[in-house]
Amino acid sequence: MEKVSYDVVIVGAGLAGLMAAHEVASAGYNVAVISKVFPTRSHSAAAEGGIAAYIQGNSDPNDNPDYMAYDTIKGGDYLVDQDAAELLAYKSGEIVMLLERWGTLFNRQPDGRVAVRYFGGQTYPRTRFVGDKTGMALLHTVYERTSGLGSVDFYFEWFAWELVRDENRIRGIIAFDMRNMVPVFFKAKAVVIASGGMGMLYRHSTNSYINTGDGYAMALRARVALKDPEFVQFHPTALYPSDILISEAARGEGAVLRNVKGERFMARYAPKKLDLAPRDIVSRAILTEVKEGRGFPGGYVGLDLTHLGEDYIKERLALAYEAAKSFAGIDATKEMIPVRPAQHYYMGGIDVDITGRNPDLVGLFAAGEAACVSVHGANRLGSNSLLETLVFGRETGRAVVEFLKSYTEPSSDIDKEAEKMIDSAYEVVKSESGVHFGEILERLRDTMWDYVGVFRDENGLKTALSEIMKLREDMKKMYVLDKSKVYNTEFYNALELKNMLDLALVIATSALNRKESRGAHYRLDYPERDDQNWLKHTIAYLRGNSVEITYKPVKMTKWKPEARVY
Amino acid sequence: MSLQNEEMDVVLKIKRYSPEKGYWWQEYKLKVDRFTQFTEALRRIKSEQDPTLAYRASCHMAVCGSCGMKINGEPRLACKTLVIDMAKKYGSNVITIEPMDYFKPVKDLIVDLDEFYQRMYKVKPRLYPHKEVLEGNVEQRLKPEDQRELWKFAQCIWCGLCVSACPSVKMDPEFLGPAAHAKGYRFLADPRDTITEERMKILIDSAWRCTYCYMCYNVCPRDIEPVTAIKKTRAYTRLAKEKTSIAQTGEKHIEAIFNSLLETGKLEEAKVYLSTYGLLGSIKDFIYLFQSGKVKYALVKEKSVENISEIRKILSGDNK
Ligand SMILES: Cc1cc2nc3c(=O)[nH]c(=O)nc-3n(C[C@H](O)[C@H](O)[C@H](O)COP(=O)(O)OP(=O)(O)OC[C@H]3O[C@@H](n4cnc5c(N)ncnc54)[C@H](O)[C@@H]3O)c2cc1C
Ligand code: SF4
Ligand code: SF4
Ligand code: FES
Repeated sequence: MEKVSYDVVIVGAGLAGLMAAHEVASAGYNVAVISKVFPTRSHSAAAEGGIAAYIQGNSDPNDNPDYMAYDTIKGGDYLVDQDAAELLAYKSGEIVMLLERWGTLFNRQPDGRVAVRYFGGQTYPRTRFVGDKTGMALLHTVYERTSGLGSVDFYFEWFAWELVRDENRIRGIIAFDMRNMVPVFFKAKAVVIASGGMGMLYRHSTNSYINTGDGYAMALRARVALKDPEFVQFHPTALYPSDILISEAARGEGAVLRNVKGERFMARYAPKKLDLAPRDIVSRAILTEVKEGRGFPGGYVGLDLTHLGEDYIKERLALAYEAAKSFAGIDATKEMIPVRPAQHYYMGGIDVDITGRNPDLVGLFAAGEAACVSVHGANRLGSNSLLETLVFGRETGRAVVEFLKSYTEPSSDIDKEAEKMIDSAYEVVKSESGVHFGEILERLRDTMWDYVGVFRDENGLKTALSEIMKLREDMKKMYVLDKSKVYNTEFYNALELKNMLDLALVIATSALNRKESRGAHYRLDYPERDDQNWLKHTIAYLRGNSVEITYKPVKMTKWKPEARVY
Repeated sequence: MSLQNEEMDVVLKIKRYSPEKGYWWQEYKLKVDRFTQFTEALRRIKSEQDPTLAYRASCHMAVCGSCGMKINGEPRLACKTLVIDMAKKYGSNVITIEPMDYFKPVKDLIVDLDEFYQRMYKVKPRLYPHKEVLEGNVEQRLKPEDQRELWKFAQCIWCGLCVSACPSVKMDPEFLGPAAHAKGYRFLADPRDTITEERMKILIDSAWRCTYCYMCYNVCPRDIEPVTAIKKTRAYTRLAKEKTSIAQTGEKHIEAIFNSLLETGKLEEAKVYLSTYGLLGSIKDFIYLFQSGKVKYALVKEKSVENISEIRKILSGDNK
């Protein structure tokens, strides 16, 4: 077993991981950033519409950060930790201006200041953007900046597999060099998991192919809890049938949803906010239209932007226009874009506080979509996630620096543990014949979509759970046909599948457990929000084949729960 | 909305590679519909037919730059290309897929991009703003039109397709390549940047090593037009304090073209050559032209353009 040592190892080179790396490296500590893909290929690159920010002197004069926090809390159906939402709102302007200084080419107002647009659930427009490739622009900026420090070691096309821990603290991680399959024990004083989301669990998802929830599963197997794992966001406007995201920016810029009869049906579901209601509401509205026979054949509705004019569409919604053209053969300046909901974001994640610190394991931190600081609660507002990756990526980096200052060397030796974890990787695929990852994967994605999707109920969730248990059993017969050690993607796909099955079990169990409807978690058999019993965070641990659930109170500062109408 | 679906049986012939076995071709049959992207076709092959097939893909929406490969010989992003479109374009349902040219093969469609990344780093791909700005003491503004100009070149997704197609990269180790030039120009032209002098040193000599073949322009999936970035970078030669011999020659070449236009309103290649490369260089090239049978083009007698005074007016206006 090869070994290397760092002060900090960061899993993930998306916006959250890079921001944390920048912070830690700038403080003089040595950092390794590990990523399955070259940093700019991370999923953050795919974010389109923008990043929310209240900027002093460059926002609506009536707006203020408290309103922004309030919108976030209400949008999240009061499952948001309010201290986290306040921190997010109050640091938003500063972080966006920092990225501006680093060179992000934000769209401008005529006077040269950063421009702004509306996004769903915002009282005042707050979304800052770079065309509709905001994520790409930000990710390139942060990568270019962080790699320019010269003091961060990037291990890209490396696959992180397990966390190594002792009784109470993190000791490092096991990762494979994907080019040659060599396993390495990265010893570290602190580990930050910033491994992004898990869209591949679902048949329909806007996510990158690499979003397989590895970080959540690594944490679960290291006896670390996930917070609110039942909350999965579905985005209402994914292009039919390719599931490529048509950004909420389209509706922010004035696009309108219509059913097969041409009706602006959102008037029925959110009379005030209409098409700009939060995502959970619009997703359910679309599927209801389809279910009641007012969708287009095949199961979709139309997103109409024809009235915006060709020039405007091509400048501000270039990607939406291009995607509709290349992938559905639709000219969005003349016809409606066919859309339907698809999995989009994971509100649940590794349990951390507002400094990114995990309470189960000393020295473990998480940030970005992998974490649940709980700024999104039961439903994330559009353009809050990019903001979260940067604000909490930086907060986490700072907390890691603080942690390192008072760090003491452990005395126990941990190499044996690490060896075992390498064996565990081969164990996943130790059969000599049997099934391939693909057979199990496709069944899992259908199961999650059909029973743990936009609408849920007890029977469906139970069906999902028994199917997941079966798939976990089948996985024991999984084997890898490719015997080569060079860039063996089949081997890593098999490990990813193992991760997905661990996570799926936790999601489905937590969803069955929460007997109410809140935000994106919608139970047909319990259609009301129930603050009396359920205004609390789910805390879920994986214990072998079962899930242990406890609860944590939601942190309240200024805002009392109220009915969520738009 | 006119969503017309259609289905087709296709055969994907994939050029595979492993260090142990070398190259071989393998065929996969599958049914695709109107909307099937090549990344999705590959994903289906991998999960339904042959899990050993190796390729890169991440975003499936043409923003991450992972999936560059050659499809029916064309350098393309697999996710941005629909299977049926290629079958129709070539009038055949047998389609070939190969790794990108130029880069070292690693496994199947995966190639080694390390050297490509090195080129990108060489141009210092990041903004160096004023210290005051960096510390947040002053706000920097950017005109919307500057933002638009820069954003065009900032959209490079590091896919490497242009480099795989560029003849000069293969010939000339000193040439940074089209992607690095697009990146380099994006910062060179940024009014907020402070290391312009250094950037000119890095970029200008290399800019004169491009042959203007426009391959990068043709293959870039993000319409960056790296060659345009190179042209714009060449225009900085005038401002450069030190000039390498390549840049000097290049400038002379441009001057010669300018004079030729000024005199006759046309590009007189022979004359341009003479004044750019001097007599000796021209004779060498002339021998080459002679051997390759192209000499007749060089010796065509040019007739002067009629409205020459108009052209002269435009030229002198442009060059003030
Ligand atoms: C199509 C789309 C559009 C979006 N648009 C917006 C928007 O407009 N505004 C907004 O606010 N949010 C948007 N989001 C959400 C937002 O993009 C993501 O939540 C955010 O980018 C996540 O960033 P991250 O840093 O947490 O993780 P990511 O960017 O996903 O990075 C994860 C990193 O972890 C690495 N990794 C994962 N597993 C492993 C492993 N096992 N070993 C090694 N490395 C690993 C990956 O290689 C990658 O580098 C959008 C999401 C989608 C799907
Ligand atoms: S135009 Fe220049 S940079 Fe572009 S491919 Fe040709 S030689 Fe290369
Ligand atoms: S310039 Fe275009 S082709 Fe070249 S690497 Fe960038 S995006 Fe790819
Ligand atoms: S998969 Fe991202 S560019 Fe094709």
